[in-house]
Amino acid sequence: MINLNQAATTWPKPACVTEAMTAAFSAPPPGQFRSGAGGDGADVMEDTRQQLADLLGIGNPGRVFFASGATDAANALIRGLPLAGRRVLASQTEHNSVLRPLMNLRRHVGKVDIIPCDENGTVSPEAVSAMLEDPAAAVFISHCSNVTGAIQDLAAIGEIVHRKGAMLVVDVAQSAGCLPVGADAWGVDALIVTGHKGLFGPQGTGAYYVRPGLTLEPFRFGGTGRNSSQLIYTPEDYEYEPGTQNLPGIAALGAGIRWCLSAGVENIAKQERRLIARLRDGLRSLPGVHVYANGLSETGPVLSFTLAGLSPADLAYILSGTYDIRVRAGLHCAPLIHRALGTENGGTLRVSVSALTREAEIDQFLCAMGEIAAAQEVRS
Amino acid sequence: MSAFRIVEIIPSRERCAEAGWYAWDFILDTPVDEALILSLRPFGSLLYLKSLSRPFFKVESDVSLIKGLVGDNFFRLSAHDSRRDLVQEVERFLAAAPDTNGKQ
Repeated sequence: MINLNQAATTWPKPACVTEAMTAAFSAPPPGQFRSGAGGDGADVMEDTRQQLADLLGIGNPGRVFFASGATDAANALIRGLPLAGRRVLASQTEHNSVLRPLMNLRRHVGKVDIIPCDENGTVSPEAVSAMLEDPAAAVFISHCSNVTGAIQDLAAIGEIVHRKGAMLVVDVAQSAGCLPVGADAWGVDALIVTGHKGLFGPQGTGAYYVRPGLTLEPFRFGGTGRNSSQLIYTPEDYEYEPGTQNLPGIAALGAGIRWCLSAGVENIAKQERRLIARLRDGLRSLPGVHVYANGLSETGPVLSFTLAGLSPADLAYILSGTYDIRVRAGLHCAPLIHRALGTENGGTLRVSVSALTREAEIDQFLCAMGEIAAAQEVRS
Repeated sequence: MSAFRIVEIIPSRERCAEAGWYAWDFILDTPVDEALILSLRPFGSLLYLKSLSRPFFKVESDVSLIKGLVGDNFFRLSAHDSRRDLVQEVERFLAAAPDTNGKQ
């Protein structure tokens, strides 16, 4: 099977990820000090927290908290940040993991307005500035579009957001491990990350970051923590990781992040850009194919296109059933960006790569697409 | 039409669907062939890409969509919420199809 749906979940994973998961299951449960365990050996959670901070340009790893993925992280932030009754902005490129909590947690968020993007999925700093003419509490924006691969200029956008007195909340679900992320350099107030995409972790892992000094009301309360006799919390002693954590998953996520750091995110970005360029050039040479976001010089590891006469869903069905190539068809859980692309009806076919995608797989995909496009041409 | 039986009808396992429709896979005891595809025309307009290495078909109406590949032992039915009864209708339709090999 050729997986060109890496933007959904990366597969295959580096061997070290599987080994870390297996090792975590094979070892006895880590000590909870009250049982007398502890002592030597690395702490899986603190180690992975540090790796995440290093990868994402975060100076204070103590403000990184584990979650089950981007949706969980977004819910924690949207419920916990001081947004109730206040206007919030979200970019047109946002994923449902952010849009749905923003638009449904009505007790926690005021009015939600959308910052428009262009036909490539780019959100300009000027568009952000214009939308901030009226005050807003926060701006939610993805670093990299999961539909077109557009990369937002977060340094410029962050500067504007802060000048206007709003918080900058960045979703790096699609870029972490694939593109350099500079949370502190961009002045990020809060950040959303998932583990199962470019970081090569298992599904069910992720995290969020809240900058020092910004109080977040916890999303959940429960077991674990510093003081078993304490029942009521105050903002001064909030804890954000209640309950038994997904340690095997966090161990595997840590291994995936280490793999990315060791490969070098800049190198990964360069390699993925080369693969996407090969895809783009190959697809644009085929009859009936329309590739989106052609106006971008650099993108993340995804590319969207359509083929005249066949819906993206049918094309994905043929690619899977006949060629054993997995891609993704439809709106990709980011419904609003399709208004800018003109693809609200049926969406696009998205091809996405990882650091482990081989050039030969891209060529096999292009060969399959050549056959399908030719068959379509015969029909028309 | 080749004789075939519906072995099982399985609700789609897709957890991230697009249009809010419902979908089922019809598992057959015989691979999909052209006769079966043509027989499904009463359910909508037929798109049949014969020149593909494995021909693809789609029978589409406003409320339903049947698609599959020649040689697979299944095809997929999607239906609008208001027409979930189409599962039974397609099942009855296929059960009543002419049987040339003595199967029923």
